[in-house]
Amino acid sequence: MVSYAARKRKNSITMGLCTAAALFGIMWLLLILVVLVWEGFSGLSLAVFTEITPSMGSVGGGLLNAIIGSIMMTVVAVLVGAPLGVLAGTYMAEYGRYNKLTNVVRFINDILLSAPSIVIGLFIYEVLVAPFGGFSGWAGAAALAVIVIPVVVRTTEDMLLLVPGQLREAATALGLPRSIVIKQVAYKAAITGIVTGVLLAVARVSGETAPLLFTALSNNFLSLDMGQPIASLPVVIYNFTKTPDENMQQLAWTGALLITFTVLAMSISARALSTRKKK
Amino acid sequence: MAEHIVTSFDADLELLRSRIAEMGGIAEKQLDDSTRALVRRDVALAQQVIDADSRLDSLQREIEELAVATIARRQPVAVDLRDIISAIRVAGDVERIGDLAKNTAKRVLAISSELQPAKIVGGVQHMSDLVQEQLKDVLDAYAQRDEKKALEVWNRDDRIDALYNSVFRELLTYMMEDTRNITFCTHLLFLAKNIERIGDHTTNIAETIYFLTTGETLAGERPKGDTTSFATTPAV
Amino acid sequence: MTTQSATQPVPPAIPAGPLTEKVSVRNLKFYYGNSLALKGINLPLYDRIVTAFIGPSGCGKSTLLRVLNRMYDLYPGQRAEGEVLVDGQNVLNPGQDLNALRAKVGMVFQKPTPFPMSIYDNIAFGVRLYESLNKAEMDERVESSLRRAAIWDEVKDKLGASGQSLSGGQQQRLCIARTVAVKPEVILFDEPCSALDPISTSKVEELIDELKEDYTIAIVTHNMQQAARVSQFTAFMYLGELVEFAETTKIFTAPQDKRTQDYITGRFG
Repeated sequence: MVSYAARKRKNSITMGLCTAAALFGIMWLLLILVVLVWEGFSGLSLAVFTEITPSMGSVGGGLLNAIIGSIMMTVVAVLVGAPLGVLAGTYMAEYGRYNKLTNVVRFINDILLSAPSIVIGLFIYEVLVAPFGGFSGWAGAAALAVIVIPVVVRTTEDMLLLVPGQLREAATALGLPRSIVIKQVAYKAAITGIVTGVLLAVARVSGETAPLLFTALSNNFLSLDMGQPIASLPVVIYNFTKTPDENMQQLAWTGALLITFTVLAMSISARALSTRKKK
Repeated sequence: MAEHIVTSFDADLELLRSRIAEMGGIAEKQLDDSTRALVRRDVALAQQVIDADSRLDSLQREIEELAVATIARRQPVAVDLRDIISAIRVAGDVERIGDLAKNTAKRVLAISSELQPAKIVGGVQHMSDLVQEQLKDVLDAYAQRDEKKALEVWNRDDRIDALYNSVFRELLTYMMEDTRNITFCTHLLFLAKNIERIGDHTTNIAETIYFLTTGETLAGERPKGDTTSFATTPAV
Repeated sequence: MTTQSATQPVPPAIPAGPLTEKVSVRNLKFYYGNSLALKGINLPLYDRIVTAFIGPSGCGKSTLLRVLNRMYDLYPGQRAEGEVLVDGQNVLNPGQDLNALRAKVGMVFQKPTPFPMSIYDNIAFGVRLYESLNKAEMDERVESSLRRAAIWDEVKDKLGASGQSLSGGQQQRLCIARTVAVKPEVILFDEPCSALDPISTSKVEELIDELKEDYTIAIVTHNMQQAARVSQFTAFMYLGELVEFAETTKIFTAPQDKRTQDYITGRFG
């Protein structure tokens, strides 16, 4: 029997270690944010949103082509990936809950979820870029969609599994066919969770660089043609940080700031959405 | 019967049972004492019988309160419900038996000054013996939850009725022989009727026991031997 | 000497006249995978009569209820053998239209389960699927269902509010209203009051008593007093078997089987 004082001491030591570990983690996040704001904020101007990326040695310029490219590819990726993911997740949670296939799909999906994104980029390069003559926005969007799908599949399945079986039974007991039970009851109960999942997927892909390097490449000019190489914020940041040009480095910092705060805003709104629902 | 999961429920039922047993003991003694007081003209003993009745009344009240409280708290069903309902009914019957014994004792006091030959009370004494035996048996049957024994009591009460008939006629004869006997014999007649009614209460208890153990009510006519309601004065 | 039943029918009384079997369960066996959960049940549910199912947890009473509307079909590995006749038709037939069966044999669950939508839509939702009513007719149906479930006065001013904003007891009555709205003929109650406070419980019991004028009702309950209060017939089940089925007054005054007696008097275990 350990004495009360000893237990209390042990408790405070453990508590102290845990708190220190947490603070250590948060510290890096704060440091990153502080450095980003420090370095990026000064470069923030209207020109960032209205002018295209500058060439080496020139003054001024902005990130317009990268922002537009990122938005276009992300939107296409989500428009393709989210419905596919929701449908797959619905199958797994509702129709195939007890199937072997569902277990197999879930296993593969989990692998995909944690697959290095550069592998996905290479894969799309092999199946879309190499055979069809070059880098394009479509290929970039496809690579991002492959990243979106497993995230949405997972959250959709999880959220639907969280819908109480009783609710489903109650709807079934009224004589409602399964499709209506899913559409009108299960989705209604799980909708905020599913939307949260999609937002998280958007946040995830909007920061991806590696898969875009092999697919969309980049473009120094504003292009709305998804059939052509297209610029994106992460790739532009990647390229600009490698240059000795200070103007470009400044723009890279500003782009990083933009991405980080967009992702942060989306994560927070996803979190807000899901907590508001729970109460 | 297996015990309840809630053991205090068993304790409640056990308490009811022991209170009824106590009442039964008092009533048996009252009946026995009142008869002996009659035979021996023992005024003191008769007074004891009268005094003992208040204990019986208070026991009956206690049983009723306990039964009501148990119903309210435990919501008994099936055999438990019948157990408690039976306790209320048996307590009522035993209390009435006590009242009748007390009334008998009062009449003993009333006739104690009158000198009469002992043989006149012989019939009543014999009736009382039979009823005492019946009361004892039915109380045993209740304690043992033995419906066979109860049925046996229920079926044999007609012997007492028959005996009461003969006592009735005998007393009628005494009264006709000598009008000075009338007061004494009238008291004796009531006394005999009291004892006969105690017998009826034992059959009530027998019916309660049957309900308690089987859940069914005894129906149909019990064998009856009391025909004095139709008696007329024999022509002399 | 003759004997007669110790108990005259006391309220809730069984109506005079012959009872008709609305549902007949014949030699019903039920399997969860390989384990036998119901071991050959034979039992009637009489028309316009409340039949209560009592028994210790795991005795199969809820399972039996879930066979009657084939709720078990939602789950793999569960199967039933034997016959369940509803109006003479075996609903265990593979060709049975499950949605039609469930519309006819409604069910109210242990936990109140309002759908995540308004009170009005909770009622109208199921109705829309089977009938095309215009606005006025639907309003009328919603009101009559809510009145039938004795909750109209409490919600008439907030029909647009979420069904989940109601109290537990109100939610349960909303669920009953929802079940009644699709005009079933049989209503199964699976421990409808186990999550409710005593006053709400009384309201639901009163409701069940009223509903039996129009519906055949089966209720599973762990509360034996509740079975005694609301039902006219009681079935005691134990270890997947039907031990005793009789009039409720008979079960609760003079049960025939020792196991029934031990269970209802609290001598089990």
